[in-house]
Order: sequence, then structure tokens, then C-alpha cells
Amino acid sequence: MITGYFNGSRGLGVRHHQLILPSVVCSTHLSKKVAIAVDAITFSHQHGCAIIGPDVAGVNDFFIALAGHPNVQSTLVLGLGCETLQGNELTDAIANKYSETEYVIIQESAGMAGALESSILRARSLQKPSPRTELDSLTIGIEGSPAPAEMTALIKSATAHGHQIVSSHEFKEPSRNFAELIRAKCHVIVSFPDGNQPPTGLPLIPVITVANANSPLHQALIGDFDCSSDISADALLAKIESVANGEMSKSEGKKVGDIVVPRMVRSV
Amino acid sequence: MSDNATLTGYSRSNGRWGFRNYLLLLPLHNALNQLVDQVRTDFGGDKSAGTSITAVAHDWSGEIDQDWERIHRTFSGFAVNPNVGATIFVGIGSESENAIVKNAQSRREMPISFLTLKEAGGFDQLTAAISQEIHRLLPGIEREERTHAPWSAMVLGLECGGSDAYSGITANPALGVASDKFVELGGTSILAETMEILGAEHLLAARAKSPEVGKAIIDVVARYEKSITYEGIDIRGAQPSRGNIEGGLTTLEEKSLGAAKKAGNAPFTGVLDYAFVPHEPGLYFMDTPGHDIEQLTGFAAADVNVTVFTTGRGTPTGSAVIPTIKVATNTEMAIALPDLIDLNAGTIADGTETVHEVGARIFAEIVDVANGKLTAAELGGHREFNLSRLYSSTQ
Repeated sequence: MITGYFNGSRGLGVRHHQLILPSVVCSTHLSKKVAIAVDAITFSHQHGCAIIGPDVAGVNDFFIALAGHPNVQSTLVLGLGCETLQGNELTDAIANKYSETEYVIIQESAGMAGALESSILRARSLQKPSPRTELDSLTIGIEGSPAPAEMTALIKSATAHGHQIVSSHEFKEPSRNFAELIRAKCHVIVSFPDGNQPPTGLPLIPVITVANANSPLHQALIGDFDCSSDISADALLAKIESVANGEMSKSEGKKVGDIVVPRMVRSV
Repeated sequence: MSDNATLTGYSRSNGRWGFRNYLLLLPLHNALNQLVDQVRTDFGGDKSAGTSITAVAHDWSGEIDQDWERIHRTFSGFAVNPNVGATIFVGIGSESENAIVKNAQSRREMPISFLTLKEAGGFDQLTAAISQEIHRLLPGIEREERTHAPWSAMVLGLECGGSDAYSGITANPALGVASDKFVELGGTSILAETMEILGAEHLLAARAKSPEVGKAIIDVVARYEKSITYEGIDIRGAQPSRGNIEGGLTTLEEKSLGAAKKAGNAPFTGVLDYAFVPHEPGLYFMDTPGHDIEQLTGFAAADVNVTVFTTGRGTPTGSAVIPTIKVATNTEMAIALPDLIDLNAGTIADGTETVHEVGARIFAEIVDVANGKLTAAELGGHREFNLSRLYSSTQ
């Protein structure tokens, strides 16, 4: 049994983050200031404007997926005002599904100082303690390429405990594989990075990193990994459950890694 | 316009001049963004008036794809921007990172360090190594002093974002007056944003110094429109943006005719691909996206040392290495968003100043900012940085 949080219409999560969501690159700097002031999570991105075709809906839907993730307790959308992805419309789309959602628009806030002040007030007013609750099972994301035997053993052990597994291994770079696992609402991710990639995580979902025994890079950085590939499936599952119960993974504690938004076509 | 004004700057080994003297922390992998920013914060944070340490963040994680050459050029050019006195690259320890660092070193003789996670042996050790390297490099940077700079030192970037119906009659033509003046004095000025000359390219081509340059302007727009059409999208349906329409613009051509006015009436000396450096003084067109930050990043990689950014709706963004002067196209916005705006050109529409008077004020502001006056974006700590890519990130 895992003790997590009831995050309202977003479901049961293992964290209760407040997400400061910039709807456009122009509000990412403000988002960072607000997130620091109110102890929330945020990320930088280059989207929201000068995007065309499938990216308009794609980026919009990805932002909604972030805001609706079960590890999120509330969302404050920060917009500039003249961007393609309008902050108020994005907020409406999020608020239709998920409670505790508000927005601030820089161009309607008398400038940056005004926007910072109202953002902090609004973010704080959204921060209500999420009730602690028991989770019957976890959705566990697997990123990268574990050895097939390792994978089989982990799946066997996890499903025996009632957990679901989702895996993503299209790319060598963990941050690019994470997007799919965010959409799949994974509570926790186990990352088996490519031998040339460092251990990395996400602000939204705790990521447990597993070092590859044959990678000189991973061996040089062994202290920054949560475990090594020789870990048994049962020990790895125990680690996953412990992190789900609140233990900070290495990447989470060091705040390593960013959310990377997938993009289909060139910007204009 | 006062020719008595003088420029002061930092003379660089490659013949360029810097108007700031930053120590730049440049991460080469997105896993290092937070760590690098934490070091920057530990060394004084956003107080850009006193500190000279700057840093950026981005979403690249070492992938080598069709955009690699563009990304490579952007990183190495950004690192050697003349406003940077020393650069510390922070990487994982890969060959592609090495290639970026080597390219930067070949472009300018300056203190360039390369610290890697692999060599440091961990995130905390890397943090300590960066701090140690900053302590080693900072005294040298702080010793450098401004000296009198010639007008040819100026490499001016022209930008607009959040345009409205006033842009083409107030801020943009006034910026054109200032740009013409710098070009006349022997400086360099760069117009960009290919989407924003679409429909006005024939007018710009007619101002080319040679038929080759004229053809290059036409070709760059044709290539751009083709690359968008290739994706099955009609750019004329996607632009002007919703923000532009709310600001009173009706068509892409109207937006373009107004946007092109930033480049005044000077002849075009050449056309540059994204993040390529102009090699002689004059007015250039650079092929960049209209995306404000991708353009600004491309400018930084092309040795631009001051940018003037006209805006109708009001935007706060800036560059980690280029002072970016915001010019409001209308008085209402300049009053409504005071901490975003450096200078109001709305007085032209109000009837209280002429285009030439505002142009003279923009010229004087550029000189003041070059000489050390901080812009609104610098005071706000803005350091937006985006890599421009032409291909999908999902394949």
C-alpha cells in the first residue's frame, strides 16, 4: 500500500505539486520567479507563439496533460496576452477538467512587477493541502533500455503487486522519452539512460535512475544514480514504492532535469 | 541627431566590440540547466547592474539530428558574442560538445573553459568546479576597461514582436531612422524575421547593393514559404497572429510592410543565413523565424551587440548577452506596462513628435545603452534563450 495524495479531479498522486505553467516563452521568466516564491514547480520552454499546424493543438494538449497529471495539486497559468496559445483559453480548457486552476496575464497586470505580485497571491490562494490517501497501485513509467531480462523481472514483480507499467524508449535522450510517460500519467518513472546520457529527472514526476554497468560515464557518476543495473527486481520495486511514499529520488533532490515539450514542425 | 555622442566598449581580439562584459555560463545539456542557473544565482542572482555573470537554459540533450549544424553554430556563436568576456561551457563530456567548444575557440581568442560532468564525477562536484572556475576568470574580466569605440563597433539587431496597427507608422519607421544613421556612420544593422518580410520582399530586394543580394532576398523568402507549405500549412492563414489582429493588423502583407520599416532606407549589403556573422559594415537581412527568442538567439550568435525591439502589445523578454531596448508603438501600452518599456514611440501617433524626432531619441538611447545604461529587460533579469530548429523533435 502506498500513501499518496488525493489531488481532486486529477486523481491520486504520489506528490502534490503546484504547477506554474507558462503558456508562452515570454512568461517563463516570470513563472520561475513565482515558482521560487511559492515553492511550486515550473519549467522553461520555447513554445506558445510562432507555432503552426499540428503544434498549436499538440503543445496545447501537452500543457493540459501536465496540468492534469495526478501529481499536480493546482495550476496557475501565466500568459503574456498576445500569444497564439492564449492563457485564458488554455486555463478554461484545463479548468473544465481539473479544479484549482487560475491564470494571470502579464499584459493585463500593469507589467512585470504587477504580474509577479498577483501571481504570488493567486498561487498561494490555490495551495490547499491535499488530503493524504492510500493508493492501491501505481502507474510506473520505464524510460530507456533496460536489459530484457531485467525488464521481464521488473514487470513480473510490479504486476504481482498490482502496479501497471508503461514504457517509452523511442529516443536515446531520457528527457524526450519522458513526454509520453507524462501523458500516460505515470506516478513514478524508472530511467535506464543510454550509456552516453547523464542521470536526469523531471520536476513533475520522481525519476529513479539506474546506472548502466558498462557505461564509463555512468560509472564516473555512480553517486548521482539511485541504483545500478545489477539491482534485483524486488529491490528496485521496493525503491519505487519508497519513492512513491515520499523518499526523494536523487534527481528529484538535486532538481536535475526539465520538461521538454515535443514539437512536430518548425517554428515560424 | 548628435554625431558628438561617443561610444565606449570592450575591444575584442577578433575586431569586434563588446558593450557588456559578461562571464557566460553555457550548459550544453538540458540536465545541467538547473545546476548552472543555481551557480549564477549563488553569484549574485538577477542584480544585473553589479554582476557580470549570465547564463542560459535550453531543451537540447545532445541529440544529433538534421538540426545539428544549426544548433552547433548557435551555441558556438553565442559563446563568443562580443558582449561576453569569458565563457564557461558546461557539458556531459561528449564529442559533439567538444566540437562546439572547438568551434567557439576558433572564432575568437578569449578565455573559454569547458567543464564536464564526467570529469567532475558528479553534479555537486561539477557545481564546485564551476564556482572555482568563476573565481579564476572573474578578476581578469573585471580588470578590462571600456575605451573609446568607433561607430563601426555597432552591430545593431532590429526586432519586432507583438506588433499592432501602430507598429508600421510609429516605432518601426523611427527605428529605421536610427538604423540608417548607424549604417551611414559605418556601423552594421541586421533586419530579420523572414515571415515578417513575406509580401514586402520585392521592396527590400529593390534596395539591394547588387543583383545577387536582391536575388538572395527573394530566394530566402521563397525558401521559407516553401518550407512552411511543405508542412501542408498556409502561412497566410496562420499570420498575422491573434495578438496582431487584436492589435488592429489585418493581413500578413500589412504586417510585413510595417515590419520592414525597421530597416529604414539604407541599401542592403547582404543576406545572412541563421546565426551567420556579417563580415563588413552595412545593412543585412538574416533568415530567422519570427519567433522573438529564436531570432534574438540567432542575433547573439551573429555578433549583434545591441538589439532594438519594437512592440505594440508589450513583451518583457531579453537576451542573456545582448541589451535589448523595448520601444512601444503606442502611448497607451507604454503607460500601462511601464517596466517592460524603455522608450515610447507612440508620441508620433499622438501628434507630439515626428518620426525623425523619435528616431533621434532611439539613436541616443542605443548609444546610452551601449555605454552601460541598463534596459528594462536587463533590470528584470531576462535571459531568454531558444534554439531554432527546422525539423521535428519527434522523429
